[in-house]
Amino acid sequence: MQEILQYIFSGITSGAIYAVIAVGFSMLYNSTELINFAHGEFVMLGALSFITLSGPFQLPLLSAFFLSVAGVACIGMLFERLAIRTVREPNPIVLIIITVGASIFLRGVGMLVWGKDAHTMPPFSKHPPLDIEGAKLLAQSIWIVAIMFLMAAGLHLFYKKTLTGKAMQACAISQKAAWLAGIPSKFMILLAFGLSTGMGAVAGVIISPITMCGYDMGTMLGLKGFCAAMLGGLGSLWGSLIGGLLLGILEALGVGLISSGLKDATAFLLLLFILYVRPSGIISSVNVERF
Amino acid sequence: MNKPYWYRIAYVAVAAIVILTGILVSNAYYLQLLTFIGINTLLALGLNMLMGYAGQISLGHAAFYGIGAYTTAILTVHYAISPWLALPAAILIAMAIAYIVGVPTLKLSGYYLGMGTLGFGMIIHILFREWSSITGGASGFIGIPPLEFGPVSFASGRNYFYLVWGFVLLSLIICRRIIDSRVGRGLRSIHDGEKTARAVGVDTSQLKLQVFVLSAAFSALAGFLYAHLVYFISPGTFDFITSIRIVTMVVIGGMASIWGALLGASLLTLLPEWLHSFSEFEMVVYGLILMSVMIFLPQGLTRGLMDIYERSKKSQNR
Amino acid sequence: MNDQKKARTDNQPLLEMDAVSKSFGGVHAVRGVSFWLEQGTITGLIGPNGAGKTTLFNLITGVFRANSGRMIYDGKTTHDARINELVRRGISRTFQNVELFESMTVLENILVGQYTQTRCGIWGSIFRFPWMVREEHLARQNAMALLEFVGLEAYAEQKSGDLPFGWQRLLELARALAARPKLLLLDEPAAGLNIVETAQLGELIKKIREQNVTILLVEHDMSLTMTVSDKIIVLDQGVKIAEGLPREVQANEAVIKAYLGTTG
Repeated sequence: MQEILQYIFSGITSGAIYAVIAVGFSMLYNSTELINFAHGEFVMLGALSFITLSGPFQLPLLSAFFLSVAGVACIGMLFERLAIRTVREPNPIVLIIITVGASIFLRGVGMLVWGKDAHTMPPFSKHPPLDIEGAKLLAQSIWIVAIMFLMAAGLHLFYKKTLTGKAMQACAISQKAAWLAGIPSKFMILLAFGLSTGMGAVAGVIISPITMCGYDMGTMLGLKGFCAAMLGGLGSLWGSLIGGLLLGILEALGVGLISSGLKDATAFLLLLFILYVRPSGIISSVNVERF
Repeated sequence: MNKPYWYRIAYVAVAAIVILTGILVSNAYYLQLLTFIGINTLLALGLNMLMGYAGQISLGHAAFYGIGAYTTAILTVHYAISPWLALPAAILIAMAIAYIVGVPTLKLSGYYLGMGTLGFGMIIHILFREWSSITGGASGFIGIPPLEFGPVSFASGRNYFYLVWGFVLLSLIICRRIIDSRVGRGLRSIHDGEKTARAVGVDTSQLKLQVFVLSAAFSALAGFLYAHLVYFISPGTFDFITSIRIVTMVVIGGMASIWGALLGASLLTLLPEWLHSFSEFEMVVYGLILMSVMIFLPQGLTRGLMDIYERSKKSQNR
Repeated sequence: MNDQKKARTDNQPLLEMDAVSKSFGGVHAVRGVSFWLEQGTITGLIGPNGAGKTTLFNLITGVFRANSGRMIYDGKTTHDARINELVRRGISRTFQNVELFESMTVLENILVGQYTQTRCGIWGSIFRFPWMVREEHLARQNAMALLEFVGLEAYAEQKSGDLPFGWQRLLELARALAARPKLLLLDEPAAGLNIVETAQLGELIKKIREQNVTILLVEHDMSLTMTVSDKIIVLDQGVKIAEGLPREVQANEAVIKAYLGTTG
């Protein structure tokens, strides 16, 4: 029992990170129907710039947080402006390769700036781990889950309460119709890129104290975040959250109870399962066109 | 009706170039590089049938490459089976797996198909890494025997070069013949408009599955040749990045073009060698090249450069 | 109406629709539509936009499955038949918005149209068995004959996407004929054509009927529909409101109210 509780704690921790990454995928997909294979690299950029800003630059955690997220969001918008908007034939294959190219490019940049070594980061707060029924709950885990919920609530409010959020949703439904209604759809896409990559950076920031951070950390995180988004239903905010948490917990249980070799396989087995059985995701009611 | 005639000339030309190259190049490093180009051409050719002609993306083709390599490694080392028997076994196993995976996967389209094949590729890659009792795990598989045929040993660089390029030439002819047939036209009709193709009577799901299986066979052949070339394989060779590299060869060379596959494979094999001089900047430059080709020449280099040439000719004529 | 009854006893119907319905969610696109098409006739299917004509086409060609009702084609039910099987059985169509395989040549488009009429598979194409070479040769001859029929033989090697729009329509028609249809469904074949082209199309359609092909024609161009059709069926909001000879339908009050009335 104590063991299982421990697995669930660690599952929720990594699951919350997958969830934040998944939300980034989902919201970009929502407004642009595009899957950004470089998303994981933005997570990496967020983590490493945060470590640098709070470490060598000695900024307070909060300002390091905001600075790195804002910086990464700017890079994301730059990426949209320079590489995505200029595409002549925006079909999936071309866009997949461009974003893959961007991921290789950003990984290369990460290697140039931060070198090949992994970096570490002390936890946000120095509280000792909580002891619940014999299982240890790290303070950082609470931070991670709290930030995930804060962000989800913020996004929810953004979509439901602000005009910009509504305009963005309008663009998602029909770019042309939104443009005719006077919504600057190009700007909305730019904004969506900024928000999505910014969210990737948030994931990077909160993961930095619990893992080794290097220039190549992003690929796997990105892919798993994508699996989580698919699990919950690509394009759905709450679906992505649930998908992320579910993936984290299943992964931790798989590793703990069955085999550590399953760690990375869980996400992809779930991905295939969901694609074959219910491509709209476990909670979404929208039908995905399979033809 | 003159087309087949030109194709024949092209094959003869390629064969002549291959033979001449084998005679003239004696530097072992260059010969090996050229052999790698041949292996990559096989990979690109197979995927090009699926992507370029049928319009179905696969981000997991390294899996079939790996299945070919690991099958022959396991059969020849663990079971001491002759490599020439392991070759059909490797191809058949890859085809069988492609069939089983293809049935549910090819029902997907667009990004979902990309993701489905990606997931499959990752799972196979993890299998190579984790099933260490059979595959040697993350540290790899050592001691794959060299190829021999009677008195002819393919251990030398030149013979292996000829062997690989013989297979390439054969595959070029096979692909050309398929494309110029009813099957090939069916595939291209799927690429142009799947719904219309179905309405016209093309059995799209059957054709997609067939070409998926066929491309798996080409990849497995490439994997077999790779394993017996380097005698050592490890999971890292068959990961997600490799799958992407194969896709890139197809796209950069130009989709729906057999010679494009050859060009793409050559460029992407040579590019890293050339980029070594950039050392630290290698990845940055590689990523930039990938992005800019897709942004400015989304049709790939063969088609893109041809378009530019034609446009400049037209503007001169005016 | 007497003419029709008589025709039915003379001529076995090629297609019989019996109380066919189809709805999407709560929208009833087609409601209890019944009619039959006699062999070798041209039937015009008309009705205002949203009347359910295209849905009916998709039902007949097997794209959609009917929620209820029966469809008998050539003596057998079409229920659960796959699209390509129906094409093989002789149901062929053109599209409202021309749908060619644009990167392929004019000739190749027709060859794809013959897909169900030919058999060569992967092995056949790799080994080029003699029968396969013969089949390919025949297919090309047929394709050229069809191109001559619509007058495009000089453009066989051109990319189909580069043809002017009117010719694309003709090519699509030829592609539909390549499947050797018994039943040919034409979805607004004259849309976008000028008067001369429309008249030529009318002649072609009549010629096709002479080869004992049954034609179901959806067309907004009344001059074409009324001149070539042997029978007219009028749909409105998914329901058949009239059926009869062109002049009968033109005089029908329900039709005038539902259809001609709205267009002025």
